[in-house]
Amino acid sequence: MSYAYLFKYIIIGDTGVGKSCLLLQFTDKRFQPVHDLTIGVEFGARMITIDGKQIKLQIWDTAGQEAFRSITRSYYRGAAGALLVYDITRRDTFNHLTTWLEDARQHSNSNMVIMLIGNKSDLESRREVKKEEGEAFAREHGLIFMETSAKTAANVEEAFINTAKEIYEKIQEGVFDINNEANGIKIGPQHSPTNTSLPLSGSGSSQGGGCC
Amino acid sequence: MFNKLKSFYNSVNSFDSLQTTDGNHVNDAAATKSSTANASIRNVSLFSLSSNNTHTEKGPPLKHRYTRPQFLQLNTDDEIQVSADHIIRPIIVPRDVNKLPWNSGYAETINAGKSARNEDQASLCKGLLRAILSPESIALKIADMMPTVPGNPRQVPINSQQRQVNGESGDSSQVLKNETNLDSQTLKKDEFANKEVDLAKSDPLTDSVMEEKLVCANDLISPSTPLPSDVVDSIKNEILENVFQTPPSSPELSKPAALVEESLPWVYFGLFDGHAGSGVAVAASNTLHKIVQEKLQNIADILITFGLKDVDEKEEEIVENSTTTINSSSFNHNRLTSKGSVIVNHDNHLPSDTIIPLFQPAIDKIVTVDALIIGALELAFWEMDNQIALDKRKYRMSGGCTALVALFILGKLYIANAGDSRAIVHKNGDIIPMSFDFTPESERERIKYLGLLRPEFLGNEFTHLEFIRRPTRRDLGKRLLFRDAFMTGWAYKTITIEDLKVPLVYGEGKRSRVLVTIGVTRGFGDHELKAQNSDVYIKPFLTPQPEVRVLDLAKDENLTDSDVLIMGTDGLWDITTNEKTVEIVQKSLEHFPANDSQRFKYRYISAAQDLVMHSRGKSKEKGKGWRTSDNLQATIDDISVFVIPLKPYRQEYLKWKEARAIVQKEYMRS
Repeated sequence: MSYAYLFKYIIIGDTGVGKSCLLLQFTDKRFQPVHDLTIGVEFGARMITIDGKQIKLQIWDTAGQEAFRSITRSYYRGAAGALLVYDITRRDTFNHLTTWLEDARQHSNSNMVIMLIGNKSDLESRREVKKEEGEAFAREHGLIFMETSAKTAANVEEAFINTAKEIYEKIQEGVFDINNEANGIKIGPQHSPTNTSLPLSGSGSSQGGGCC
Repeated sequence: MFNKLKSFYNSVNSFDSLQTTDGNHVNDAAATKSSTANASIRNVSLFSLSSNNTHTEKGPPLKHRYTRPQFLQLNTDDEIQVSADHIIRPIIVPRDVNKLPWNSGYAETINAGKSARNEDQASLCKGLLRAILSPESIALKIADMMPTVPGNPRQVPINSQQRQVNGESGDSSQVLKNETNLDSQTLKKDEFANKEVDLAKSDPLTDSVMEEKLVCANDLISPSTPLPSDVVDSIKNEILENVFQTPPSSPELSKPAALVEESLPWVYFGLFDGHAGSGVAVAASNTLHKIVQEKLQNIADILITFGLKDVDEKEEEIVENSTTTINSSSFNHNRLTSKGSVIVNHDNHLPSDTIIPLFQPAIDKIVTVDALIIGALELAFWEMDNQIALDKRKYRMSGGCTALVALFILGKLYIANAGDSRAIVHKNGDIIPMSFDFTPESERERIKYLGLLRPEFLGNEFTHLEFIRRPTRRDLGKRLLFRDAFMTGWAYKTITIEDLKVPLVYGEGKRSRVLVTIGVTRGFGDHELKAQNSDVYIKPFLTPQPEVRVLDLAKDENLTDSDVLIMGTDGLWDITTNEKTVEIVQKSLEHFPANDSQRFKYRYISAAQDLVMHSRGKSKEKGKGWRTSDNLQATIDDISVFVIPLKPYRQEYLKWKEARAIVQKEYMRS
């Protein structure tokens, strides 16, 4: 299927905050209560529409475990958007946000759009982190913020789509160099001004020029 | 495989195309770009592939669609594309750890842009050999395997005419018929003694019907899986029918109780490092295990019978005294059997290379179970290459590949290697090399010798002679140090015009090439590969012949969860030494200790991932290349790694043996 742009996302955050479940809910519209540990990196993809344009989101879901941190860092590069996730029922996952943010800023490109996500909003009774705290953290660090529930699907669509909108606006403003694949954005083959400048791995697809 | 084909980066502009679900073939235009972009890695070549560079959408069909290894479950082209991100080079691990036997680890990453696709392939297979044996036939086979014990006359006469086994095992079992004596110490034999009369009349087919079952990757079965009852029934019926076609000598013959359905599990891991296209590596990863299954099934009755038998010290001694070792090559520090295969005898106090002579037609020829399994693997490698040769005529199947196979069977580990991938075992704190890197450098002598014997293979452009330096026109008429293929030392030769030809093996170390083109000397494929501007084929200098090494695991009571087999393509080993590899693995394993039951199963995957990470390194900025954590140059080649724990297999094997012994006893009682 053809697309105007492909945006590459990365999902980061402590282990067990629901990164893989958010991805699964967004791509497959289902919830898996028991999820295996993510080792290294997982992938997902979905097409969305912004401003009447087809946009393909390619999402890289990373391992939250400390043991894999060094490997996870090597995936920050080349992402246009990041979902930084914590668990509203576990304060320590919120406390670690600063470390995650430093990591992300250090290893990613400077224009990367970061969405802060407080997940598990369905578990209100076990809440340890107030929504206001999340909002304050986001404001302080210039992030967009939402609380989601991968279980009930509340705000999951919005989280991914709002991030995409932000990236799209930055493209319109000319902030992103869209010809540099390292920024995590690819122009769909049919929208490319010059086909010869296509990124390497983007031209081998078999589905009407669509890539990932 | 990086840099294996010098010219490849400059001249080949095609790859196997993706085959879409609707059957369209789309050429990977990116491939051309990536190869030219990296052309500067090697100097511009004088040679190129003379064929296989113009596959278009209208070319012959693909036999196997390009995929990543099945157990990774990258099911869509989308996912395969993401895994092939040359900028990020994600390290891909199995999504479901349960897809690999014993929670073994696997990890891979793509090259940094030298080819559009990851040309490494991997496969695994958990198979089951089956044979329907009668207790009598088992007794006979056990008798056959006994070494000659002087003064112990044969008690059970066997007439070869009465014994037939399917396919090649027919030969094997006839081979077994010999003048060896039955070891009277064998309890089993004694228990069968009262059945000897029936035995003499028994039908040839009762011991020969086998059922094979091959289960791969996504559909692993446990070794204890019983044969479906309908299958057993059909086999029995078939046997009974056959029995009745022969003159029924006694009604007891038709008793189904006389049949024992036996099975023997085996587990296979394969790594295939492709070059000049992905086609051959894909074919090998789809096919080789099936050929191995077939070859093993042909000797299933012997293997199973052997597996039921206990080895005692006395037999080992006999073997020790009678084994001949023939050193046919310079690279082995281990004992070699007559086939050039290696029995790794690591622990001095453990006779890990127990050899039970199956057949001793002459003093210097011993056929052992090891030799039969090694033979099965060797034959499978050759057959694979032959099949690829045929398929290349009908299908679009580009390039070639190396092959490294691990086979776990009968309590032992067999490593068959043809190429420069490598396998090492780390156990009890020691590193045991389980393979030898076959490269133009290490195989210089074999290749030069072939050039000497068959000068027609060299066209008019290459010389098998090796000079101390490459002679030029200025050297004509002068004397230069040289050595012929048969020489180990050096001598002087007056340079003639003939000597100015290109050396058959050129370059040193990692850069050495055969016919200035290829950097590997063993594996599958490359049948169409030629040096440019000549009709010189490279294939005659390549061979699918594997070297097989054997390690006995059953006897090693000290195996721990940290003892592993590590297999990797050269992308791993070019950067990471054996010692460093072991260090990384042990560190990874410590992160997932046994008391952490939730995470324990991920330890080998994590170790594999860390190994790939170490050799891949990181690329901080575009254009600055990939650097290791020590800030050394990292590999830009594809990397694939297995980390396989040894202890679970040993336990599985011992359980199997125990279970079979009980079954046997039951049958013997009845």
